Amino acid sequence: MKKIDLEMNRIKEEMRVDYFPAISRRKFLTASGLAGLGLMLKFSHLKAATTLDRPYRRFEDVMRNKFTWDRVARGTHGTNCAGNCAFNVFVKDGIVWREEQQGEYESTDDTPDYGPRGCQKGLRHAKYMYGNQRVLYPMKRVGKRGEGKWERVSWEQALTEIADKFIDVVEKDGPESISWGSGTQMSVKIASYAALARLVNITGVTVPEFYSGVGDLPTGVYTTLGKVYVGDTMSAIYKSKCVLVWMANPAVTRIPDAHFFWEAKYNGTKVISISPEFTPTAMHSSLWVNPKPGTDAALAMAMVHTIINENLINEPYIQEQTDLPFLVRTDTKKFLRKEDTSIVSTLAVEDNIFYLWDKKTNQAVIAPGTGLTDPPLGRDRRKFDTIDLGDIDPALEGRWIVSTLDGDVEVTTVFEFLKEEAENFTPEKASEITGVSPEVIRQIARDFAKAQPAMIYSGYAACKWIHGDLLQRSFVLLLSLTGNIGPEGSGLQISNSPKVRGLMAFAFNGIGPATRMVSATNWDYEQGNMIELTKNVYGKELAEEWDGKYQESIKEDWFPQYGKKGWKMGFFAGNNGANWRASGNKWRKDAFETLESIVAIVPDMGVTSHYADYVLPVAHHYERADIMLQARTPYVQILDAAVPPLGESKDDFTIVHDFTKMLSKRAKERGMKAFHDNVDGKNIRRDFKRAFDLFTMNGKVTDVKDVIQFIINTTPGIPKMSFEELAAIGKVRVEGSDKTYYDKESPYHSEIMESVNEKRPYETLTSRQQFYIDHDWFIEYGEQLPTHKEPLSIEGYPLRMMMGHARHGIHSMWRDDPLMLTLQRGKPDIYVNPDDAKARGVKDGDNLRIFNTGGEFFAMAHFSAGIQPGMTFMYHGWDPMMFKDQQNFSAVISTSGLIKPTSMAGDYGHLGYKILAYAPNQTYKDFTCDFEKADDV
Amino acid sequence: MARQIAMVMDLNKCIGCQTCTAACKSMWTDEPGQEHMLWNNVETKPGEGYPKNWEKNGGGWNKDGTINPGTIPNPADYGSICDTNAQEVYFDGKEKVLGRKESMEYGPNWNEDSSVGEYPNNYHFYVPRICNHCTNPTCLEACPVRAIYKREEDGIVLIDQDRCEGHRECNKACPYDKIYFNMATKTSQKCIFCFPRLEEGIPPACATQCPGRLRFIGYLDDENGPIHKLVYKWKVALPLHEEYGCEPNVFYVPPILPPTFDENGNISDKPRVPIEYMESLFGKGTKYALKTIEAEMKKKEAGKDSELMDLLISKDWKALFNIPDVKLM
Repeated sequence: MKKIDLEMNRIKEEMRVDYFPAISRRKFLTASGLAGLGLMLKFSHLKAATTLDRPYRRFEDVMRNKFTWDRVARGTHGTNCAGNCAFNVFVKDGIVWREEQQGEYESTDDTPDYGPRGCQKGLRHAKYMYGNQRVLYPMKRVGKRGEGKWERVSWEQALTEIADKFIDVVEKDGPESISWGSGTQMSVKIASYAALARLVNITGVTVPEFYSGVGDLPTGVYTTLGKVYVGDTMSAIYKSKCVLVWMANPAVTRIPDAHFFWEAKYNGTKVISISPEFTPTAMHSSLWVNPKPGTDAALAMAMVHTIINENLINEPYIQEQTDLPFLVRTDTKKFLRKEDTSIVSTLAVEDNIFYLWDKKTNQAVIAPGTGLTDPPLGRDRRKFDTIDLGDIDPALEGRWIVSTLDGDVEVTTVFEFLKEEAENFTPEKASEITGVSPEVIRQIARDFAKAQPAMIYSGYAACKWIHGDLLQRSFVLLLSLTGNIGPEGSGLQISNSPKVRGLMAFAFNGIGPATRMVSATNWDYEQGNMIELTKNVYGKELAEEWDGKYQESIKEDWFPQYGKKGWKMGFFAGNNGANWRASGNKWRKDAFETLESIVAIVPDMGVTSHYADYVLPVAHHYERADIMLQARTPYVQILDAAVPPLGESKDDFTIVHDFTKMLSKRAKERGMKAFHDNVDGKNIRRDFKRAFDLFTMNGKVTDVKDVIQFIINTTPGIPKMSFEELAAIGKVRVEGSDKTYYDKESPYHSEIMESVNEKRPYETLTSRQQFYIDHDWFIEYGEQLPTHKEPLSIEGYPLRMMMGHARHGIHSMWRDDPLMLTLQRGKPDIYVNPDDAKARGVKDGDNLRIFNTGGEFFAMAHFSAGIQPGMTFMYHGWDPMMFKDQQNFSAVISTSGLIKPTSMAGDYGHLGYKILAYAPNQTYKDFTCDFEKADDV
Repeated sequence: MARQIAMVMDLNKCIGCQTCTAACKSMWTDEPGQEHMLWNNVETKPGEGYPKNWEKNGGGWNKDGTINPGTIPNPADYGSICDTNAQEVYFDGKEKVLGRKESMEYGPNWNEDSSVGEYPNNYHFYVPRICNHCTNPTCLEACPVRAIYKREEDGIVLIDQDRCEGHRECNKACPYDKIYFNMATKTSQKCIFCFPRLEEGIPPACATQCPGRLRFIGYLDDENGPIHKLVYKWKVALPLHEEYGCEPNVFYVPPILPPTFDENGNISDKPRVPIEYMESLFGKGTKYALKTIEAEMKKKEAGKDSELMDLLISKDWKALFNIPDVKLM
């Protein structure tokens, strides 16, 4: 035996003597107090160790040396995750070594603070940015599309060829034939987006809008409140006494903010999760309620029923703030309007004046603040008018006869109609639809109504159901009936968005607005010939009826038909559209690949760039400067360049800048003439030779920091400071954020709060929170009031597939990170109920074929008893590149031809085409499927 | 003076996001030979965990003071991080499907959200795990070359990398399987409680980087600190598998899941997680801890004060870290 081994054995023996057996030690501890004793024992063996004449602990310095770095930059991840997390980025030897959440946010007395903010993706970015998916040089396709054969080209060559194609298309087919879409990698980096917004404003190319395109547009909220932006800060949750987490899974999708829910729970708030599957959010909630997929509106309406029947309503609130006391004719089901009562009013401009029944004077009286609807709707009313009832005491219930030009007619209130509608959803009836027991329905209705304030925390999932607008309308109704829109800790929490006047100012400066923004849904519908898909999957009758409405809406000029003319050239800036489009390969084949030229501007490869003709490399989050505003936190966040861009990558601003420069150069060299372009009836002269001078404001804007400074200086609510000052601290609290919701001084939307608190008319037809829509189409479809309608399904396919934002990725980003993959199952998996699986002979880990008439895809079975029988659950974002046949879940999402008729209704006050407010959503939920065991892969 | 640093993790706040895992990985284990190592991991319980079936691998103390013989986990029971074939798929056009270069039969989070029981009364929750820096560590005892020591100043258990000869006896002896063998250096490695940070007043990465705000850091003997209060005063923070006899210095506030439903779909008082299962993890103190938390939560609901709830809420993030001259980066 070697000498050292003998020595070691001796030490080992010595230590064994020193050590007490665990059992006797514990007894000893009990007798003499814990802390001191444990330490004494430990001390004894340490003493033994130090008696050795050996250099113990020298290696500790090795570890200490690892915890060193050269410099720290402030930054964040400019993705569309709404996190807005302050990060420190550590640079060592010229590369980003790692990152940490900055953590320290101001404390306030009345809510927990915001620190630290981040997630596993953010903590992994320093590794991911050096991953092998990264694009380093401009590339030009040399093989067939999607073949993965590229030629490395210079920026000069790439931009020259792209600019030439750009000019070719504009000269032949007009600028509207080019689309320049921006996605989640860039559109929330405000300076980057501002640069793009300026370019598209100068050139007139089409900007597809993906708010409705990805099915996130809260049209039900807009229908009711006249605004889509209704969210407060996340700390508002702590102020609530009852939070319904509904159509959301914040434990997964709001990782930096989820703590507010559990802290609120500890503070006495009831957190009630409502979801068919046992989500990670349900795990920590006070109560989990589990309706069948797609039946949520029936549950909501049953709660409405309970609240009305048990008289838990806030009467003064709904009398003033809502249309529930408005008079409706029982014969036509239309509101009683002034033109019904007076011939003079039909001639004069007295549209949309509505009535209440005043209990004091026992007569119909004009509802204050109604009327005058010159577009833009409601602007003047908001400034000068009020919904203050004064001496009027509006009746909620009753039937009366009023004389009209049609003679005497019976009128009643919206509230009376609502009571009738709610009778269709007694807790017992709703229980049959939802599977939730009547007792539970009553209990949550009472808990919700009695808690003051109460809140509904919702994600975008509602928008992804065909009848999700009805569900959202019922959400607002629940809140409104109980007076829960206005106070801190109340309200519907979906989203708020920065007004960022500076962004628009930058885009339009010296030019005026001349931007072509369109809804991607309609374009996909027409260009992808999606009516055929609908016929195939849902039947000819539905397809043709809904198409009839689509065509009628266009004929009536309610909605523009921008989908008619196909695009020739598509730019995809930080946008992985071929990943998430419903109908998968069909969209790729019929819409995407029909583009003559595809340019992807991305930091990392994905399916969209894989099929592109040119791929231009974008700098990653730590290699660039920018500025972020995300309403979940009241902070402005900076991105600063910790290191220079890798390879030949450039930040988005520089790419847009350089492209515009090339565009002007080529326009001059080719002698391209100026041309006239008509945007929304406005005649605009565009001269690409001048595009670059316009873009740079005659040389004043040459760097992204110029744009950032412009935005800081011109956006109300952002504290005024230099970029450098902001970069030094990383983040700063916005103005107007003293409360947990935003006020007028903030950079966020606050119109709803002003309506509630200052009694300003809402930007709806009735100037109120409007629950009754008397548009002909809404009446035709029985949707005047919030209600429940069965989701669509596909005959012969029993299972619903539910989806949600992923835990281990943001959209399709980081999905292919090696650590993230290791923390999952290494490849895409789909959660299934073990009983459903066993009935199909499937074991956990089996490769599954998931299919319906729309298509098929393959994924690994992942058992969970938290999945409701009859459904499956899959996180979205998995790139098609990670699946067999490059085909992800979108193969079975056969919904891209479903355009809900009422979503194209128009000529009705606030309802009608309005970009980013009222447009048809691309939906993703109304289908069913099945699965079976597939061959191993 | 000899002291013991400790951690309390509140499982009522853990959302299984793995941010701690990522923070630890980039801090300490991103080097060759460490592909299978997650000094910090988060696993779904009930479940086989990481490494697979660690609770069945032996180790820990027998009642007679001897070490319960353990086994070294199989490499496949960890699930190693590995590169993807992005180069081959995207840039070389040689392969069609993007994914890991090596297939994966098991992984550190394989059973993520694999709920057990019968819907809708199924259950699962997350348990983050680091080295417990035990007061009575079997690894230290088992090391044939005495490479493992427990620091006097903070009780952190370390494997001296200069001394370790890779016998892996510690690996067998640790009942938590929280020791990993580095294939490149041929030494055993494990969580170091971020001592280089701690020495500068900066709490461990897994704690400061936890967006769920569920990790408390402090010295056990600090009677005014949250750790002492949660462990000894309120007795709501419990060691994991105390029956292993190692006396962990990481403690867990056991989770309270939402109520179950009876056969009519009405709310039942039967707890979602069977108490036997909970006790199998957190020991005999579990019932008391759960009752205490529920009672204090009720107080808050009724508008009364509760020191315990205020501690667990910890409005001020920094208050989670009760160490002298704490610095946050």
